[in-house]
Amino acid sequence: MAALVEKAMSGERQALNRRLSHGGFDRAFRWASLASALIVLLVLAGIIASMIVGGWPAFREAGLFGFVTGSTWDINNDVYGAWPAIAGTLATALIALVIGVPISLGIAIFLTQLAPRWLKGPVASAVELLAAVPSIIYGMWGLFVFAPLVAAYLQTPLNRVVEGIPIVGTVLYSRVPSGTGIMTAGIILAIMIIPFVASITRDMLDQIPSVLRESAYGIGCTTWEVVRHVLVPQAGVSIIGAIMLGLGRALGETMAVTFVVGNANRLTALFDPGSTIASRIANEFNEALGLQLHALIALGCILFLVTFSVLIVARLLIARVKVH
Amino acid sequence: MNTVSVMQTASAAGRAADASAPVRIAVRDLDFFYGAAQALKGINLDFFDRQVTALIGPSGCGKSTLLRIFNRIYSLYPEQRAEGEVVLDGRNILDPRIDVNELRSRVGMVFQKPTPFPMSIYDNVAFGVRLNERLPRSEVDDRVEAALRRAALWNEVKDKLKASGMGLSGGQQQRLCIARTIAQQPEVILFDEPTSALDPISTGKIEELLEQLRSEFTIVIVTHNMQQAARISQFTAFMYLGEVVEFGPTNQIFMNPGKKQTQDYVTGRFG
Repeated sequence: MAALVEKAMSGERQALNRRLSHGGFDRAFRWASLASALIVLLVLAGIIASMIVGGWPAFREAGLFGFVTGSTWDINNDVYGAWPAIAGTLATALIALVIGVPISLGIAIFLTQLAPRWLKGPVASAVELLAAVPSIIYGMWGLFVFAPLVAAYLQTPLNRVVEGIPIVGTVLYSRVPSGTGIMTAGIILAIMIIPFVASITRDMLDQIPSVLRESAYGIGCTTWEVVRHVLVPQAGVSIIGAIMLGLGRALGETMAVTFVVGNANRLTALFDPGSTIASRIANEFNEALGLQLHALIALGCILFLVTFSVLIVARLLIARVKVH
Repeated sequence: MNTVSVMQTASAAGRAADASAPVRIAVRDLDFFYGAAQALKGINLDFFDRQVTALIGPSGCGKSTLLRIFNRIYSLYPEQRAEGEVVLDGRNILDPRIDVNELRSRVGMVFQKPTPFPMSIYDNVAFGVRLNERLPRSEVDDRVEAALRRAALWNEVKDKLKASGMGLSGGQQQRLCIARTIAQQPEVILFDEPTSALDPISTGKIEELLEQLRSEFTIVIVTHNMQQAARISQFTAFMYLGEVVEFGPTNQIFMNPGKKQTQDYVTGRFG
């Protein structure tokens, strides 16, 4: 009897011990996962802080406004202005959107509305695979294969046409038809953002309930009318969100752009060499000293803030969408 | 379910059943397949002009499938196919040469859930009109107003025609969809459980509306609600496992069915 009682008690103690150790593990686990989450925030805050601190001397030297609008980048005299790089960044990203977005929408619409089942899988995987190509490959391909093609079949013929025409000639004439330049970088970027914009847009279109699509067909719409008047407006802001995600990527892309943008500190014409913030930093970071280093960090700071806010806006737009 | 009240409502509506009306849609030996699975087997049915025909039966019996054939909406899905004949105005609409867009403007459809388009209330109704006809603006305005009045929605929306159709209540959205359909001046309107997502008051309004629309349109309605079928239809087809078990005037189906299966279903003994 006594032995039984003792056994029962020891069993109880064991159960208690097990619970205690569980409680301890649970707490440790909670702290560990909290810590993992906090690390992200800390790293982010650390990056922002060090960018601002590192870039501060450059901002102070020229003034914030002066730095952003200045167009001289003279390492020998230590005068740094960011405008050509900023403008190049915006120009290449804009070209990427102008070319990439219509193609992405076309892909998404084709995949969700038109593609026969046997074609859907292969096209969708091919688009996803585009996203898996490392950017250095795009850069190499862009420089060795694509740029010569641009020079031979785009710049040279175009030069012949636009030479001497006011405004149009200024924008489209290339003094050195080498193939590298703002336009080439923009086209490469377009190829790079297509998989992102296309696959997010496709997801958005897929989320629209099929009954809405059916009722649009049900009043006699053609496929074009269904897409144009019902599906795209229904997906609405989220498509803009997808475009913004693409924009974020285009603004920050470094490797591929550095290869093909030409790396000149000017922004004169569409086909001429220029530079972007990311390519400027990648080119000069190795040998940068003193104020030049601070100026590069300040450039990075501007890029970071711009892409950060673009991504936040994109997120908000995508989240806002709700399928009714 | 209260059998007596179903029968009373059925007899009230059923009196109006007019089997001498011309046949608007004639279905002959219709089979339907989802891939390899056969969903409809040898359907033969007549739908009479300006009468409401209810399709009833347990879930999966094929009533919605049948409805979706009449405007060829099933042909959006390549793995679905129909065999047989569905004759509307002397033409077999299953004929691949038929212009489905034109067909769908003549055979309107209202779905289970309200499906307003992402545009203003006015544009929701005008959209369908403009698809098929080039009309001067004033005429489109007239058609929109007439359709909204007909759908008993005009008084509720006349001051906010430019507002989004998404902002309306569920019942209002469903009436907007009905307005959108009748603005195209179709001959036939298909209703696929149009009140199953609505509250009783909205349901009542839609039922009243159906009663009025009968004077102009041939109506086919799929419903799970037997009382609704009894209240609003003149003819009823009871379907089971892809076949039509019994078809006839609604009062006959509900009060004096010819088959035991029908009787069991309408009295709520199975289904």
